[in-house]
Amino acid sequence: MSKKIKKRRKWRSTEIISVIVLTLLAVLILVPFWNAVVISFESSAEYARHPFSWFPREFTLDNYEFLIGRGNVLLSAYKSTVGITVIGTLVGMTVSVMAAYVFSRSFPGKKLFFRLMLLTMFFGGGVVPTYMLIKNMGLLDSYAAVILLSLASAYNIIIMKNGFESIPVDLQDAAMIDGATDIKIFTRVMLPLQKPLIATFSLFTAVGYWNSWYWPLLIFNSGKRTVLQLYLRSVIGNATGAATSRAMSTAALSSNMFAEGIQMASVFAVMLPIMLVYPFLQKYFVKGILIGAVKM
Amino acid sequence: MSKLKNSRIRKKPLGHEIWKARYLYLLLIPFLIWLIVFCYGPMYGILMAFKDYNARLGILGSEWVGLKHFQRIFITPAATRAIINTFVISVSRLILEFPAPIILAILITEMPGKKTKKIYQTVFTFPHFLSWIVVAAILSNFLSNNGAINVLLESFGMEKMNFLGNKSLFRPLLYITSNWKEMGWSAIIYMAAIAGIDPTLYEAANIDGASRLRQIWHVMLPGIKTTIAVMFILAVGGVMNAGFDQIFNMRNPVVKDVAQILDTYVYDITFAATPNYGFSTAVELFKSVINLILLVAANSIVGKLSGEKMFH
Repeated sequence: MSKKIKKRRKWRSTEIISVIVLTLLAVLILVPFWNAVVISFESSAEYARHPFSWFPREFTLDNYEFLIGRGNVLLSAYKSTVGITVIGTLVGMTVSVMAAYVFSRSFPGKKLFFRLMLLTMFFGGGVVPTYMLIKNMGLLDSYAAVILLSLASAYNIIIMKNGFESIPVDLQDAAMIDGATDIKIFTRVMLPLQKPLIATFSLFTAVGYWNSWYWPLLIFNSGKRTVLQLYLRSVIGNATGAATSRAMSTAALSSNMFAEGIQMASVFAVMLPIMLVYPFLQKYFVKGILIGAVKM
Repeated sequence: MSKLKNSRIRKKPLGHEIWKARYLYLLLIPFLIWLIVFCYGPMYGILMAFKDYNARLGILGSEWVGLKHFQRIFITPAATRAIINTFVISVSRLILEFPAPIILAILITEMPGKKTKKIYQTVFTFPHFLSWIVVAAILSNFLSNNGAINVLLESFGMEKMNFLGNKSLFRPLLYITSNWKEMGWSAIIYMAAIAGIDPTLYEAANIDGASRLRQIWHVMLPGIKTTIAVMFILAVGGVMNAGFDQIFNMRNPVVKDVAQILDTYVYDITFAATPNYGFSTAVELFKSVINLILLVAANSIVGKLSGEKMFH
């Protein structure tokens, strides 16, 4: 046995194929990101001479200085996005986790309420009626509307419900015999046991709010409010990437910054928080999805 | 559900049961209010699809027009083109994007080394967590006139190409970039399914002299059949969606003919021109009803063919 292990194992043909294909794929995914980061640190003169290079030929922070400079809305967009993300995640998770726990128990009317929720996974009012609702509620141009419109999702609640159901009932029954109310059982017994699952979905919800742009685009009609994604959209101008952004026209020409540099610096600024939480996300999402998949 | 709870139920009158569960209702109420206001509230607005909406008269007060708006969908060239585009793009996605994560999941499973597997997976999944605004920004820079791809083409002595402003390239680019962003994420569910296959099945096949490729074909694929069926049903149920986020952020006026899908069409007629809320709502309702019909149809057809169903 030990002799066999010492000898180098022969590679299976499928292993060789997978390593080659996947390495190519990984390079294809990484290079555009790397390229964007390089451009964001490049000077305009060097970019004009060599639009593609593996490292910045003349390292500069001018593009980033422009982003945080006066007259640029990046910082205020950051503030509102952080606000929406934090409040939305806190409120949304509170509402969802409570609902998920209740759906893991049995009580009169459970079936009806659960079906009411399930239906929303496959049918909704649509964009125009939702927009009209927000308008009629007087919530146009408000952060509250952005938070409320994606507060909870049936899918997340079902997976969290499954999580609560996986906890042995004996625990709850014991607490009930001790005279604990359902609220006490929820906060003292069930919540602490489901910390990993709740952490996972909090991160998912937070990423969702961070990336939200569609409702802000429709709702923020006064031009006073914006979020990071919309800021980025305005900097990019249009999909061809050829148009210089409005932000550029206010910029001084003598500096080292340039349209593409500012665009890619903005991309990096918007993406950075996601990159920072990604390792924590990744630790859990395989598990989370797995639970959901089994029970779907 | 829990046995103990069931044994407590049905012995006492309903009023007693409701009183007993009062704290549960208390915990559920915030969600129910949200659900009714923000999910069912808009459903009331669907009435607009059957009315000539007038802001002064409100939704209820506006005049009923029956199916006028729905008839208009089929005589408006821009709308019919959007419907056709939606179908063409979605069916192409089913062919070109649906199998990709399955193949990727198999390749990752076949990859030797636990650590390398993890690193690769980290790379493949990351783009999923970025918005299409970010991804479109990165990729359109990459594909732009000064972008890396064109620099590469030039260095090979080839001519530069205008990737995003090219009608015949736009749709293939949609499929490629969508796979680029999402296939790693979608592969996770298949990898979980593959991990759940009983390893003795491979061993048995191995003893029978089956090559690894044959094992993949005869053990692994049948082992994830259910997952594939469920994902396929869901994908068919979303045929009328065709990927709004991606197209909205990658399109430009040059490619409008090939890029306009129902969702972008609704956006354009509702928020960028003089709106006709009734008509917009009708288009959206038409879209979700077709989706629902396709979902149910796919569910029963897949069920008949393979015995795998999502809903019963």
